[in-house]
Amino acid sequence: MTAATTAVPPAAPAAREAAPTRRRARWPATLTAGVALLGVFTCVAIAAPAFGNPLHQNLLTGLSPSGLPLGLSWAHPLGTDTLGRSELARLAFGIRTSMIVAVVSNFTSIAVGAAVGLAAGFFRGPVEAVLMRVTDVGLALPYTLAALVIAGLMTAGLTRVIVIITALFWAYPARLVYGEVLRLRRRGFVESGEAMGASGLATVRRHLAPHMFPLLVTYSPLNAASAVVFEATLSYLGAGISPPTASLGNMISDGQDAISYAPHLLLVPAVAILLITLSFLLLGEGLKARNPDLARVSWLGR
Amino acid sequence: MARTLIRRVAFGVIAVLGVAVLAFLLEFVVPGDPARAIAPRAQSAAVLANIRAQLHLNRPLVVQFVDYFAGLFRGDLGTSYVQRQSVASLIGPRLATTGALALAGVVAEVLIGGGLGIVATLYPRVRAAVTAVNLTLLALPQFVVGLVLLLVFGFRLHLAPVTGGAGPAEIVLPALTLGLVGAPWYAQIVADQMADSLSSAYVRTAVAKGLPDRYILWRHVLRNVLSPAITMVGMDLGAYLSGVVTVEVVFGWPGIGLLAVESLQNLDRPVVMGTVIVGAVAVVLFNLLADVLRMYVDPRTREDPA
Repeated sequence: MTAATTAVPPAAPAAREAAPTRRRARWPATLTAGVALLGVFTCVAIAAPAFGNPLHQNLLTGLSPSGLPLGLSWAHPLGTDTLGRSELARLAFGIRTSMIVAVVSNFTSIAVGAAVGLAAGFFRGPVEAVLMRVTDVGLALPYTLAALVIAGLMTAGLTRVIVIITALFWAYPARLVYGEVLRLRRRGFVESGEAMGASGLATVRRHLAPHMFPLLVTYSPLNAASAVVFEATLSYLGAGISPPTASLGNMISDGQDAISYAPHLLLVPAVAILLITLSFLLLGEGLKARNPDLARVSWLGR
Repeated sequence: MARTLIRRVAFGVIAVLGVAVLAFLLEFVVPGDPARAIAPRAQSAAVLANIRAQLHLNRPLVVQFVDYFAGLFRGDLGTSYVQRQSVASLIGPRLATTGALALAGVVAEVLIGGGLGIVATLYPRVRAAVTAVNLTLLALPQFVVGLVLLLVFGFRLHLAPVTGGAGPAEIVLPALTLGLVGAPWYAQIVADQMADSLSSAYVRTAVAKGLPDRYILWRHVLRNVLSPAITMVGMDLGAYLSGVVTVEVVFGWPGIGLLAVESLQNLDRPVVMGTVIVGAVAVVLFNLLADVLRMYVDPRTREDPA
């Protein structure tokens, strides 16, 4: 174990250079796949209205004569749900919801975490003690329960989801940044800067913050993937985005009620979640493959 | 080592108290009147006021706060608003039910993940396939895996019960869900550690001594996987004991997570508080236990990193 790896709890073992013979790909296939898939999802999210109206209940032609949801057909490529709404349109808007949550809450949670971690690592002393104990509390929170409690405070919608995810997801990046600051401090250039009379702000801005950037860029796809999963979970539990607004999570919740007679209502959004998170994970893997120094930013750290 | 331990215990206690205070304050800001939840049809304000007085809800927040934490330090989690019995007696059996699921889930993820990791290391040809499986499992939310298993094995193949409840037949699918979702972490750890060991000097020495491969694998390589795996098991047991809410909701497994969700809907604050605190204790305690066990297995971890 090198000092670099011990700085990042919880004990993510550094992936050493696996085999010296294996050449490092400059532009790994995982990166291409991740970027391509994310590109597709971004386009779907932007062009969601082109896939139809997600709220229109077609009670005449959207349901079978006995009132059951329709299966896959040319008129309804992904069938209809129990209210005769186009599953394709709902899927497109669900993807839009997921992508917005991924981008925004990823940014907010990392910004808060980075600020806390930088402050704790820079000021040391009592500030460090307080901030890191608060971070411990953040890491010890039972996630889902805490989310449900916070959910009770707000009205359903995107803002609620983003607030919940930020409130719960900042702690891990805070630990990550804090560990990195401590590691950098041992390398001496912070001290030499301070010895040369650099002000505190200049030290953070010039010497510490820039080093966090690659770390956080590598971490953010993993964070975004977790955010997508968490939004779906919240909406599934009724604590995120409520119907009639489409979210992949509440679509699955609807699908669960029809599990015995219309399994596509469950499987379609499930596959969408899988592909979105997978594309973020592929992006993350690709970034790590390009920069093996950052392999310790592992999805091992939840 | 003793100092390290004392520090960790102290931090753990602080973290649990922090969670408790936070949960208490949050619950009081949650809109909704518990009295209304208990007597939804009550017409007169006097009835509601009476209920509030019975539950001591008419006292100032500070008094309630002091009351609650004084009780907590005596080991009293309070009384449920709705069920009229002590929170501890409500949580106890639910914790046992969740414990059974947590244990089964951890066993499943160790077996599945460990298997994937070992296969990926020993057979380089399937490594890419294992990575693909890992990433796919990692990308799936627990409730999606659970529902798909329920759809396939419950509703289509009729191999598993779909009605919910706790029992030996009912535990299979939720445990498998936890196992599948948790497996990639173990696979990654096992693969990393094995790669480390295999390229190490002690394995080279063992090979040079002419020891049989199987012996080297078990005694030298896999033994080194133990230490990080123990940490993971501790983290997971703690996290699962704090309520595998989604899995319990999907399968109707009557554990602590389901209790928490029901209590939240009923505005049964003492029970919600109890589940949150028990959950935080579980997380902290099992992380600590794992640390201790790891110090025992792996002397290198006995001092805190600076």
